[in-house]
Amino acid sequence: MDKSKVRNFARNNIVTIMFIVLCAVCMVFSGYTPSYVIYELFGRLSRNMFIVLSLIIPIVAGMGINFAITAGAMAAQIACLLVLEWKIPGIGGFALAALMTVPLATLFGWLIGKLFNKMKGQEMIGGLVIGYFANGLYQLLFLFVFDNIIPINNPDLTIKGSTGIANTMDLSKEYGFASALDGLWRLPFHRAVLVFAAVIAVILVVGYMRSHQKNAKKLGIQIAALAVVAVIAQLPPVKELFSMVNIPMITFGLVALLCLFNIVIMRTKLGQQFRAVGQNGTVANASGINVDHVRVIATIFSMVLAGWGQLIFVQNMGAFQTYGAHGQVGLYAGAAILVGGASVVRATNAQALLGCVLFHLLFILAPAAGKNLFGDAAIGEYFRVFLCYGVIAVALVMHAWSAKAGTKKRAAK
Amino acid sequence: MGKLKVKKSQKIACIVIVIVAIIFGCVGLYGVTSRTSQRGQALISEMRLQAILDTAGTGAVDAYVEAAKAEATAKVREEGGGMEEIREATAQAEEEARALAEEEGIGSVDLTSINTEPLGEALNVLAEAQEAYFAEEAAAQARYIEENEEAVVSEEASTEAADASAEEEMAVEGDAAMGDDMGGDMEMMEETVDLSGFEATEEMLALQEEVDQAYTALCEEIKLVFPALTDDIMEALKPTITSLVAQQGDTFETQYDRALAQSGMNPGATGVIMRQGKTLTTSAIGLLILALTVLFYTPLVKKLGFPRLLIGLFYILLCLLAFIYNLSLPGQISNTLVRLGMNGVLVLAMLPGIQCGISLNLGLPIGIIGGLLGGLLCIEFGLSGWGGFLFAIIVGLAISAVTGCLYGMLLNRLKGSEMSVTTYVGFSVVSLMCIAWLVLPFTSNIMKWPLGKGLRTTIGLQTTYLHLLNDFLSFDIFGVTIPTGLLLFFALCCFLVWLFMRSKTGIAMSAAGANPRFAEATGINVDKMRIIGTMLSTMLGAVGIIVYSQSFGFIQLYQAPRMMGFLAASAILLGGATTSRAKISHVVIGTFLFQGVLTLGMPVANAIVPQSTISEVFRIIISQGIILYALTKSGGDSRG
Repeated sequence: MDKSKVRNFARNNIVTIMFIVLCAVCMVFSGYTPSYVIYELFGRLSRNMFIVLSLIIPIVAGMGINFAITAGAMAAQIACLLVLEWKIPGIGGFALAALMTVPLATLFGWLIGKLFNKMKGQEMIGGLVIGYFANGLYQLLFLFVFDNIIPINNPDLTIKGSTGIANTMDLSKEYGFASALDGLWRLPFHRAVLVFAAVIAVILVVGYMRSHQKNAKKLGIQIAALAVVAVIAQLPPVKELFSMVNIPMITFGLVALLCLFNIVIMRTKLGQQFRAVGQNGTVANASGINVDHVRVIATIFSMVLAGWGQLIFVQNMGAFQTYGAHGQVGLYAGAAILVGGASVVRATNAQALLGCVLFHLLFILAPAAGKNLFGDAAIGEYFRVFLCYGVIAVALVMHAWSAKAGTKKRAAK
Repeated sequence: MGKLKVKKSQKIACIVIVIVAIIFGCVGLYGVTSRTSQRGQALISEMRLQAILDTAGTGAVDAYVEAAKAEATAKVREEGGGMEEIREATAQAEEEARALAEEEGIGSVDLTSINTEPLGEALNVLAEAQEAYFAEEAAAQARYIEENEEAVVSEEASTEAADASAEEEMAVEGDAAMGDDMGGDMEMMEETVDLSGFEATEEMLALQEEVDQAYTALCEEIKLVFPALTDDIMEALKPTITSLVAQQGDTFETQYDRALAQSGMNPGATGVIMRQGKTLTTSAIGLLILALTVLFYTPLVKKLGFPRLLIGLFYILLCLLAFIYNLSLPGQISNTLVRLGMNGVLVLAMLPGIQCGISLNLGLPIGIIGGLLGGLLCIEFGLSGWGGFLFAIIVGLAISAVTGCLYGMLLNRLKGSEMSVTTYVGFSVVSLMCIAWLVLPFTSNIMKWPLGKGLRTTIGLQTTYLHLLNDFLSFDIFGVTIPTGLLLFFALCCFLVWLFMRSKTGIAMSAAGANPRFAEATGINVDKMRIIGTMLSTMLGAVGIIVYSQSFGFIQLYQAPRMMGFLAASAILLGGATTSRAKISHVVIGTFLFQGVLTLGMPVANAIVPQSTISEVFRIIISQGIILYALTKSGGDSRG
């Protein structure tokens, strides 16, 4: 009984286990010090986690990995361009960009949701193609509409000697909003842990007060665990390990809020509808849920969140490639969430976060490990690109297999 | 067609468009005919004359001013003034002289007040001589290009090596530039020949002599009008005036525009109509086609489907635009034919996949890799010519047969969600092969980086089978080069697939794809048929890339094959295939339309917006849009 449980667990989480092993191997061969890796990792996490979390809702709603979040990222970049054009600096510019992303991403999400409804069961490949297609429209917009039809007055934004938007958007100029969000409040790691532990404890207590069951034992264990983590973070060796890390509190706070949002929305009526549609569209339809409508809403949610995620990304980077920054968003986010053990029909916050950590860990380590193992950094680079695609391919294959096995079992019964 | 239902609004729109078209056509035709008529000729030569006289007049004024300045300088010198005074005096003299010239009308002349006949005659002689010269020059240059093409190709190869190192850097950056490498891989190599070694021929020199004589005659006439002109000034003005009269590759429109800009005359309505005659006539044809489309909209959409109709119209629009912008149509047609042949087999590879039920085989890169390996082995063993080509094809077929079989077995386990899986399996195989290209133990210097490890991103095929099919039995007709061998090979592949589809296995395969349950019931081994279809598709992919690269001139490694599956899929869908049904005719029509739009799109877009990438952008939008459209038609119910 126990053995088969282990085997089942291993089979269900094969990708995650594989990745942990790979990360360990690469860690050994990369030659980086742990504190450097942790520093890099937190940098990457702060800018990438939000986007990965935006994938959860469509997965729950049965639409698989929404590769079309590329379009959400484009919405963010359009907003970004306009804010730079108006030269609104700092957190105000960021807030305005975030605000403008909402209608744009909602529009894109609505259109894409409609398209998804016409290709049920093919959303993932459809999303990929939509991403490419939207990229064409995006280029049309940025090369020929902006600066030709819609005038752009900021000379830093346009191609010199020609028309169209420049290749790189620099947010670190005096009117840009580079690090607007990250720079608001930064704390060293050990203090940040204390703050987060305190906030989580408060939330748990409030939850306890409002719940009907009053499960005091559970609350006690949770708070004790938090206290242990907070204390461990204060220990000198741990402090030493995380010494280079400077946590951008607001960014991680937003990630935490999004996790909370993902949990809370699943308890609302809308969340129940997502779940119902995801489990079985026909049944949901029979029980009076407007399936198409719910799917469109799920797509819109995902688009807006992805747009905000992209804004967090660009303000962290301080600059972005106008014609390339959005291209890989869907791929990287999709691969990350799958690495965490999510499948195309089931995903949780924890899986997204774990996947993000593992995926970016490998991203940091692979080139160096490739260089040390094979004497060529390019091999490591190609290897991680291969892993991105490979992880998605494996996840899709496994899902197709298990779905087929499931139908066979049902048929046998 | 008997019960053609036409809505009232359609009828009205149609009639309106037809009326506009007729007006355009009449005005345009009048404009075009008036170009050769007496009046039109008179108008343009008058404009040209005015332009030349203006130029000469400016020269005359300059001469007058120069003389005045010299006089002033001499005067100051005599009085023993220094540099400062001389400068002052000349400035003053210039001002005075110019004012005087204006007053007396030295530089300007009224055409009505002088006898223009001998001037006009001299001008016409010059124009004819220049036209003859330019025609000869163009012909001589064409001959030169033809003779020197071989040498240039090898030169390109050496520059390629330099370019390639830059490309490699980009590749190492991962694949940040997704859009870019989608654009790059179908790019046609533009063969520009360096003309620096070109020398004038005897005929050209003789004609040049004639031009000089005509110019001297013209000068005599002009001097009668402006006595102030000297021979030196006329010599200095020569390039300006001759370029005003005629330039190489001149058309009526460019001549007209130049004369108009220089003379500043008001050409009147006739002039404008004359200038825009061709544009108007062409738009009239376009409008007539549009009217027909509006009238027969419903049956056309039913027959062709909306996207094919749209792209078809877009293609016609491009043709008309190419005509308006005076782009060489024969050259474009040759290009389209070459592209049809070079991409045709890749597109054909989609067909067995669609027919056997795995839908669009977006995992085509798996087959392409096999073909690339065949080509690389061919270079490695130093084979060339037909032997090398056949060897590459056989090796490619062998490798892709094995991979195709495995791939088919994988797909059999995932019935229903093939498309997304094939895409990502294809992508991951491509990136896995990126590592392989770096570590495979090839030794040939043609393929390896001069420094560092691994294979180049693009490998020239000069030593092996470059343009083998393109040049086989190729001939020129009306300026269009027919790549006979290439087209024959494509036709042969189509014929073989057509034969196979009519064989027992082929019919069984189509049945398995169309309705697996029914096929199963009639005793067809559906899984086996799907494997055969996948294998065939993969093998055709291998052959396709070999044909593609022999025409393209280079084997492209690393990220290049990744999007080829998408491009092939969009071509066959454009031809009218769906994700579950396809025919040979879809392959041919689709490839022709897709490649036609691409080949014509680039020069036309460049004529409208110079140096833009707008055609690249449209390629992405068209190719992805068509796949998207097909997906929305296919999905929604049973599949998945």
